[in-house]
Parts: sequence; structure tokens; C-alpha cells
Amino acid sequence: MTVANNELEKVIIQSVMEELAKKGLLSHKGKDQVMAAAMMDTPLVPNTESEEMVTFPPQEEMQISNPFNADAVKAMKKLTPARIGIGRAGTRPKTMSLLRFLADHAVAQDAVFLDVSEEFLRRMNLMSVQSAATSKDEFLQRPDLGRRLSEEAVKIVSEKCEKNVQVQILIVDGLSSTAIEANIPDLLPALIQGLKSAGIKVGAPFFVKNGRVWVQDHVASIVNSEVIISLIGERPGLGTAESLSAYMIYRPNENTVEADRTVISNIHKGGIPPAEAGAHLTDVIQQILAAKASGVKLNQQK
Amino acid sequence: MPESTNQRITSVGIDIGTTTTQLVISQLTIENTASGTLVPRVEITDKEVIHRSRIYFTPLLDRDLINAVEVSKIVETEYMAAGLTPEMIDTGAVIITGETAKKENAKAIIDALAGFAGDFVVATAGANLEAIYAGKGSGAALYSAQRHQVTVNIDVGGGTSNYAMFHEGKAVDSSCLNVGGHLIEFERQGDRITYISEPAETALKHRGQRLQVGERVTLPQLRPIVKAMAGCVVDVLKTSVHTELTKELLMTPPLQLAHPIRKVMISGGVADYVYALNGPMTMAEVTAFGDFGPLLGWELKVCLERDGFVLEKPEETVRATVIGTGTQSVNLSGSTIHLQENTLPIRNVMVISPFTSLIPETPQSIAEVIKKEILRLQVDRFEGIVAIAMKGPRTMSFANIDILAQGLLLGMHDYLCKAKPLILVVEADCGKVLGQCINASVNKPLEVICIDQLEVDNCDYIDIGKPLMGGRVVPVVLKTLVFNR
Ligand code: B12
Repeated sequence: MTVANNELEKVIIQSVMEELAKKGLLSHKGKDQVMAAAMMDTPLVPNTESEEMVTFPPQEEMQISNPFNADAVKAMKKLTPARIGIGRAGTRPKTMSLLRFLADHAVAQDAVFLDVSEEFLRRMNLMSVQSAATSKDEFLQRPDLGRRLSEEAVKIVSEKCEKNVQVQILIVDGLSSTAIEANIPDLLPALIQGLKSAGIKVGAPFFVKNGRVWVQDHVASIVNSEVIISLIGERPGLGTAESLSAYMIYRPNENTVEADRTVISNIHKGGIPPAEAGAHLTDVIQQILAAKASGVKLNQQK
Repeated sequence: MPESTNQRITSVGIDIGTTTTQLVISQLTIENTASGTLVPRVEITDKEVIHRSRIYFTPLLDRDLINAVEVSKIVETEYMAAGLTPEMIDTGAVIITGETAKKENAKAIIDALAGFAGDFVVATAGANLEAIYAGKGSGAALYSAQRHQVTVNIDVGGGTSNYAMFHEGKAVDSSCLNVGGHLIEFERQGDRITYISEPAETALKHRGQRLQVGERVTLPQLRPIVKAMAGCVVDVLKTSVHTELTKELLMTPPLQLAHPIRKVMISGGVADYVYALNGPMTMAEVTAFGDFGPLLGWELKVCLERDGFVLEKPEETVRATVIGTGTQSVNLSGSTIHLQENTLPIRNVMVISPFTSLIPETPQSIAEVIKKEILRLQVDRFEGIVAIAMKGPRTMSFANIDILAQGLLLGMHDYLCKAKPLILVVEADCGKVLGQCINASVNKPLEVICIDQLEVDNCDYIDIGKPLMGGRVVPVVLKTLVFNR
């Protein structure tokens, strides 16, 4: 859309811009800027100052023009954050739906590519170490590197962490740093309070950057805890980028398989509220300690 | 730690109405539908009526007094017919409805039934609650949720018409009108009047018509008065500006009519005549049961259709209330809750909701609000146990939940000194962590029952049953629902 070669195209661009401006989706300044670029056949340089934020209508707003039963649409929309009842423009999505889709996609990308901030780690008083993956790109391309600690991290963990505790808590960015910042402030204190009230000995929690689930096995081999629990950012979706999982395992070793882990997923404000999850995880950990098993082996004992 | 994923409870519902007394026994299946290692989600997954009693005429000592001993004999006979003993009943409710509820019968019945009621049976009366049970039993509640259409159920019994409006399965409005099929009594299949009730007299007066006990009436004489009563029933659905007669017959505030009505269902004794193809043609047909029920049913249908209401057939008619009572009176708490107790089950827990708006910011100000409410309701003079109900903490943050815990302990300090349990009912999903916070900050043994995901806004008392599913959930019966406050 940057270069308009003929009159017809210019007319089309103009009417589209007018329409967007009329609907309040484009500021007048923005419209003029696009028009000027189109008229002069110059590439459009986005001017962040002249761009205004688009605010989305609330998710529950009725998007279908003539619903047969509006109550039904409302009730169904209430049940799911999925993109239902969003209407259509001919065979295509409405402008708002498309923009929301793009925005949610951007949020998901940010969750994966951004780092958990230093400020956050300081505020939560979390020691930070890194996996063997040295950058986000490497982390994404080489899952195996995210599954073990860097050499430096091995040293730090063996020096600083208390050994032979009952429970070691890890906070791992995984695939969503956003999930960590959104949930840990409420989950961690609830979990620690619960474990302490139950008289369980807990090592100081710490943070692993660029980590995957299996990194817990490596840490456990160093600290020799009975149970190790990773609070890890889930692969974000278009519904939420804030979802966190807790993966727990009882004494992992070289024969450990995925089925030996217990997972509680969907911890976020729209799923299991993080503070309530902390209290629930206390119960689960107590069960694991009592059964001396996690994952499928734990379920089989139930 | 073995724990079952599925548990069955047997629930009894007993409905003692103006004219009839019935009983149903149902089996409710409670299941953890989130299998594996997921966070549990315990739900009632199945409700099966395993025994329906005969429909008995309510045994009366005289016009006002129920024969409680006879009622208990009915219950005994029906338990036997179902092959059950009282010990096999886990929960349920007795509901004393209609005209009989007005009379002082409740106490006698509770006493007479004490031995039959299992561990968890409650006696409830009240037109609004009855209306809601009827609407749940008739299928109106489910219909409104499945079709997403606002549905009003009117349970038209011997003495009253009970309205319950359902929106997405939830009761949102209720009311009660003093119109029923038994307000004038006749010789069976005859035309001689044997009794005229007060509301019938009122209706006659408004129409300027005169009828007397002992008199014989013709169908054309009777029809206008029945039509007038049916008109009142429809009047409540149509408008909030009522005729004088409707006003006099209303026993509770009228329906608020906040939602446009899409469907109407009629349950109760006269319902079968609403859905019949033809109306009664002779006095003998009208008075087949010694009242004018068949004619009222028919006239009601005519009236509703004339005013453009769309009738839907209920799944249960005459047994709607009792089925609703037996299967719908039990609610389950959320599945992550905090229980540290040995007193359950507890009956008649008074619900107090001290927080009318957002929960204050500090423990001290939370405590003040609680203390004020305790003073206002004179809880200190109340011998029983209270539950504090609230929507949730100020925010769902751990900090706010902990502050709420501190505030509750401070505010309830004097009450807890009397060695009573701390019972909390929270709407938001935070029961477990709130209980944990409380537990972490008390240094002496304290019984804490902290349950969540239950709305108790509209009720005055609750009964909390024994924990089910390995302590995951508790059954809760909500009592005295009144919408029009
Ligand atoms: C991606 C994914 C997968 C991928 C993992 C691919 C990979 N190698 O990375 C695949 C397709 C293989 C997969 C398989 C399964 N998954 Co899966 N998966 C997810 C998903 C969408 C995201 C997980 C994530 O973000 N992890 C975080 C990143 C950083 O971890 P990671 O180290 O990169 O990857 C590891 C974990 O993802 C882990 N994992 C993935 N799924 C599961 C399931 C269980 C039970 C366990 C113990 C571990 C596990 O295996 C990966 C390799 O170590 C979640 C949804 C969610 N809301 O979390 C479901 C989810 C975790 N999976 C689930 C299930 C049930 C399974 C399966 C058991 C399905 C089946 N019936 O076969 C299998 C078992 C996998 C196993 N390894 O044993 C459920 C778990 C429910 C529960 N609490 O028990 C979830 C929550 C989806 C859901 N809502 O049902 N899964």
C-alpha cells in the first residue's frame, strides 16, 4: 500500500482511509500522512508520534449484526475466550476482529522473546542463573540447551543452594516471560506459606533464564531435593500469554521419562488464580512426598 | 492417598402442599470431571429419580392443621416401597408449601420426620424457594440455559401460583399469587359447593358475584370467576401495573420483569389441563377432584395465548416441586477449599454479608466493617453459628487475600473466643488460599471452614453437609431465597 501507481488505486486508498477515519480507527493526522505518501508515490514511513492507540471494544461486545438469539451468543461468549460470535464482513473477518487477532499475536510473540526483567527478579529477591542456551534464538532453536544449566550456573547452584531439602522451587521463563511476571508475585508467597505451614523444608527459590522443563532434572541432581517444582511460562496462545504451569517431579534421575512428571497447567487470572494455585500445589506436593512418586506413578497409587 | 473419582448420594425430597403430599428419592452422582493430575473439578454429573411416591392427599387434622403423624406414616411406607432405610438417605429437603406453609405446621412436621430424614434433611418453607424448586423440577431452569431463552415457570397448585423466572439456568426473579385450583371445593363430580376460601371470596367480591357453601353452580356461573383468577395469574407476567384484584391476591412483591419473557411453562396440579386439547365441558369434569383445577388450567391457557405468551411443555407437571426439592436443593462448593473441622454437618448457619461494596484496604478497616455488622444483627445474642459471605478479596493478589484473612480474624475475634468455627463463603475461587492464610496466622487451634464458588447473596441460612470426595467439596443447601428485597 506504500506506492500508488494509478488514479484508481489512489481513489481506493482515499476512500478506505476516509472510512477508517470515520470509524475512529485512524486519526486525521494518520490519514493525511498515508494519503500524502500515496499521492507522491513515496514509501510510507510510520511516524510513531502521529499514530494513535486503537482501543478495542470489550471482548463480550456483540459483534454479530442481527443475532437471532443475542442471549445465546452472549452466554456462549462467556464460556470461552475463543474468537466466537465475532460476526463477519462478507467472507472475511471484521476490521476489529482482525486487528485484535494481530494484537494478540504480537502479545504472544512478546511473551516468548522478551526477558524477565532484572527489576522483577530483584523485587522478588530471586537469584538468577542461565541455561546452556546463551540467547533467545539459541533457546528456541536448540531445546536441548534449555534443558541443562550453563557451566557457570552449575557452579553457582552448587555453591549457593541448600542441599537435601524436601522441596526446591525453580522459576523458569520457558516460553513466556510475561507469565512469570504476571503470576509469580501471587503464586510464590502462597506456595511458600503453604509448604512452611505444612512443616516442609524448602530451599530458596531461584530463577533460570532460557530454561525448559527438563532443566529441573539437572538442578535436582545438584541440590538433591526430594521434590523439584518448576513454575514455567507456557507456550502462549492467542487467548492469553500469561499462562503458567507447574511441573513437579519426585527425585528425577537418568531413567526419568516425561510421564514421571505431574503438571498443573493454566495458572493465570482467567484460569486457576495464581494465589489459589499456590495453595493447591501445596496439597499436590504433600501427596507427592507421601507417595514418594509423581506423574503417572502417583496417579496409579491413588 | 486413595480417593474415589465418583460418589453417589441419595437425596430425598418431600413436598407437603395444600392439597397433596409427595416424595421422591433421587440418586445424585458426584464426580471429579477433571481427571488425572488436573486441578479437581467436582460436579453433580447425574440426577436420577429412583423412586416416585404415590400422590397423597395431604392428611389434615382440620382445615388448618396438618396431621404430622400421618405424614410420617406416608414417608415410612414410601421408604419401604423404595427398599430404603433412613440411614441410607444422605441429604434432601422437606418443603412445606402453599397454604399449609402459612399455618403453623412446620415444627410438628420436623419433629415427626426427625427419624426419617437422614443426616441432612432440612425443613424449608416459603413461596419463593418453592417457586424456584418447582421451576428446576419442571425443567424450566434447564430449558432457559439450553435454549438461552428467558423462561418463566408458574407452578399452579391448590392454593397458590408460584412464579420463577430463569435466565441462563439461574433463578432471577420470583413471586407468589394466591390463586390455585383448590380455592373453592365441591362435591366430587358434582356441582355443590362445599368450601370457599378467603382468596376466592376476594375474587367473588371484586366481580360482584355471590356464591355460597351448599349452593349448586352451573359452568357458566363458575367460569367468569375462574377466568378472573386466571387473568390475575397472567397479569403478573404482563405488567407491573396490576389490577386491584391482582394486588390483593399477591402474597409477595410481584415479578420485577427485568427480562423479556420468551417462554412460559406451567407445572403443578393444574398443568395437565393447560396442555390438554380440550377444556372441561361439564361440571362433573370440572370437579373430578372436588375442586375447579381443570377449569383453572384451561382458562389459564386461553388467557396466556390471548396475550401472546408462548407456552412450552414442562418435563414434570404435578411432581415438579418435589423433584426440584429432591434433586436441586443441594449445591456443591468449589473444588479447592479449606476445611479444618470436625463439626460438619451444621444446620441453620446464619449468613451475614458485611461488605456491601469493595473490601477495605487494611485489616483494621475490614475488621471494623465486620464488627459493625455483627453489632447491627446482634450476632452476639445469637446462639447459633454464623457464616461470613463475600464476593472475594479486594483483588485476587496474595497480599489482598492475606489482608482479608487478618481482617476477618480481627473482626471475628470476640465471636471466635466462644469456641465457634470460622465459616467463610466466598464467591471468587480463593477458598483454599484464604483458609491457608488464616491458618498461618492463628496460634491456637481454630476450626476453619472456608468454601468458595458459591453465591449465597440471596439467602439467609445455609446448611453445610459432611465433606464429600475425600474432603474436596461440601454440599450446601441454601435457604429462604427471596429475590425481591
Ligand atoms: C507443547 C505441548 C505439548 C508438546 C510438547 C512438545 C515439546 N517437546 O516441547 C507435545 C505435543 C509433545 C505434547 C504432548 C503431550 N501433552 Co502437552 N502440551 C503442550 C502445551 C500446548 C504447551 C506446553 C508448554 O508450554 N510447556 C512449556 C515449555 C517451556 O516446556 P518445554 O520444556 O519446552 O516442553 C516440555 C513440556 O511441554 C512437556 N509437556 C508437554 N505436555 C505435557 C504433558 C504432561 C502430562 C507432562 C508431564 C509434560 C508435558 O513436554 C515437553 C518436553 O519436555 C500444553 C498446554 C499448556 N497450557 O501448557 C499441553 C499440555 C501440557 N499437554 C497435555 C497433555 C495431556 C499431553 C499428553 C499427555 C497428550 C497425550 N495424551 O499424549 C502428551 C504427553 C507429553 C509427554 N511428553 O509425555 C496437557 C496436560 C494436562 C495435565 N495437567 O495433565 C496440557 C496442559 C494440554 C491440556 N490442556 O490438556 N504436549
